[in-house]
Amino acid sequence: MALRSVSRRLGSRILNHRSFVASLHSHATSFGFQEVKEEDKSKLVGNVFTNVASSYDIMNDVMSGGLHRLWKERLVGKLSPFAGMKHLDVAGGTGDVAFRIYDSIYSVKRRALQKVDEASLEETQIYVCDINPNMLNVGKQRAAERGLRDNKSLVWVEGNAEALSFDDNSMDGYTIAFGIRNVTHIEKALAEAYRVLKRGGRFLCLELSHVDIPIFKNLYDLYSFQVIPNLGELIAGDRESYQYLVESVRRFPPQEKFASMIADAGFEKVEYENLVGGVVAIHSGIKL
Amino acid sequence: MYRTAAKRLLGGGGAFTATRLLRFPKLRSTIIPSYYTSGLCTSSVGGNAESPMGGNQSVNPNQSGHTASSSSTSTGEGPRRDESRKPRAEFQEEQARVLSASLRHVPRLGWTEEAMMAGSRDVGVSPSIVGSFSRKEAALVEFFMDECLQLLMDKIDSGLDLQNLIPSARIAKLIRIRLEMQLPYMSKWPQALSIQAHPLNVATSFKQRAMLVDEVWHAVGDGASDLDWYVKRTILGGVYSTTEIYMLTDDSLEHRDTWAFLDDRVKDAFDLKKSIQEAKYFAQDIGAGVGKSVQGLMNGVMQTMSRRSGGSTF
Repeated sequence: MALRSVSRRLGSRILNHRSFVASLHSHATSFGFQEVKEEDKSKLVGNVFTNVASSYDIMNDVMSGGLHRLWKERLVGKLSPFAGMKHLDVAGGTGDVAFRIYDSIYSVKRRALQKVDEASLEETQIYVCDINPNMLNVGKQRAAERGLRDNKSLVWVEGNAEALSFDDNSMDGYTIAFGIRNVTHIEKALAEAYRVLKRGGRFLCLELSHVDIPIFKNLYDLYSFQVIPNLGELIAGDRESYQYLVESVRRFPPQEKFASMIADAGFEKVEYENLVGGVVAIHSGIKL
Repeated sequence: MYRTAAKRLLGGGGAFTATRLLRFPKLRSTIIPSYYTSGLCTSSVGGNAESPMGGNQSVNPNQSGHTASSSSTSTGEGPRRDESRKPRAEFQEEQARVLSASLRHVPRLGWTEEAMMAGSRDVGVSPSIVGSFSRKEAALVEFFMDECLQLLMDKIDSGLDLQNLIPSARIAKLIRIRLEMQLPYMSKWPQALSIQAHPLNVATSFKQRAMLVDEVWHAVGDGASDLDWYVKRTILGGVYSTTEIYMLTDDSLEHRDTWAFLDDRVKDAFDLKKSIQEAKYFAQDIGAGVGKSVQGLMNGVMQTMSRRSGGSTF
């Protein structure tokens, strides 16, 4: 999930941003529980992804017990997609969220229930943005398998969450699922999200978050630190990468802090909903 | 509740508007839909009480809402509190603006998301905003109900000629004014009623109707605050609802049949009151009569017993 997006970020960073990065003052950032320089982070994270890329789909299902599908369903439900919307899914990679949005808009049942204007249906655009072209290719392949290869509604774009190539005020919706944790500068990604959204547009972020319930927290920590790295070793053959994963979840700001960061970026009606007691949280905001 | 309670608390005097302003400023200001405050966050500032499995957090620096939350709000820590008041008011205003614009589309599209999306396009906001309204269609219906109530209150304040009418005629007039506000939406009103009857929305719609009924009684000049108060409002609520439903299928010219129906029901209600009064007196009389005879009997028994015991020799 999250690991994927970081590897993509690594690829693009090294190719395009090396000189840019070198000219910046070197800040320290976190790599799991270690403190590392920013340039190093992407390299370390890149190593993580190179190692796990091949089996993370299976790992997603195993780690979350298949729950990640339900979480994504909930995310799309909250979004309430409508025909004719322009939507951007960042760090969308293989298109999990994008396909759900597409199905939600084009489902026959929905069209029967509501008076959907066929013309506006044509105008729907779902952009899937990802930093790694390989992931986008996988997404395109999955689209082809669903018969959506030449569908004009799904557009696969390569890009960086911190510097999107879309126009200001051009998107009705923006989602980022399990991707923002790996962005080096979260504020930049939030600022970019604010920039591309139209007035009234919604920002939705699905991310692993913090658990505070007393006993459940202990169980969750036990599961994270004892079970997941072992699973990683067993299935993916890489313990360190999954150690990084669970550590990075702990380092990500808690729900309240992240919500205030979203509000700082300019969003209003900032809310969050905890799923499974805080293991996952959906943050939302509106640009007004 | 509401206004009669307010009057009692503030000594029963004072100007009409002053009372209202003091007690319920929210009714006077820009339409802040009640559904918003009743549906959303609790106001535990800074307190995080987590609940498992899909539970929600709430931190709300602003004054507001009641009851259970379906989502939570956090608009930043302490220093941002003042600024956060403005953005939230802005969202409410935006929501009110969108819903107000949506009403124009209701006769054509019904009380639906489509109408709200059309409304949002009119205002110049992305239709995505509709996704963030809590209980979407209910939001529109409740907004309309609040607006009608506000209009009714304004009409009452701006001087309706009620003094020359007897109470039953006053009530009939007020209800008629209120129901006429719904006429443009008559074709889609059954849908609105079904939305209001939905379990999720019943609480809010009940509260809105209670406020409406209270408003009407207050305008009629009722100052009762005992058990009678509940009875009066319940009966008036019944009269209003039945007339509303009757109006759904009324085809007569200018809804003449509905107003006749309304007058009959109001008359029935007042007759009922008289009948209850009469029944009460009747019961009292009987009670008095029975009481006297029982008392007489008991006296007789006591005398007999005392005579007997007094007379006996132990």
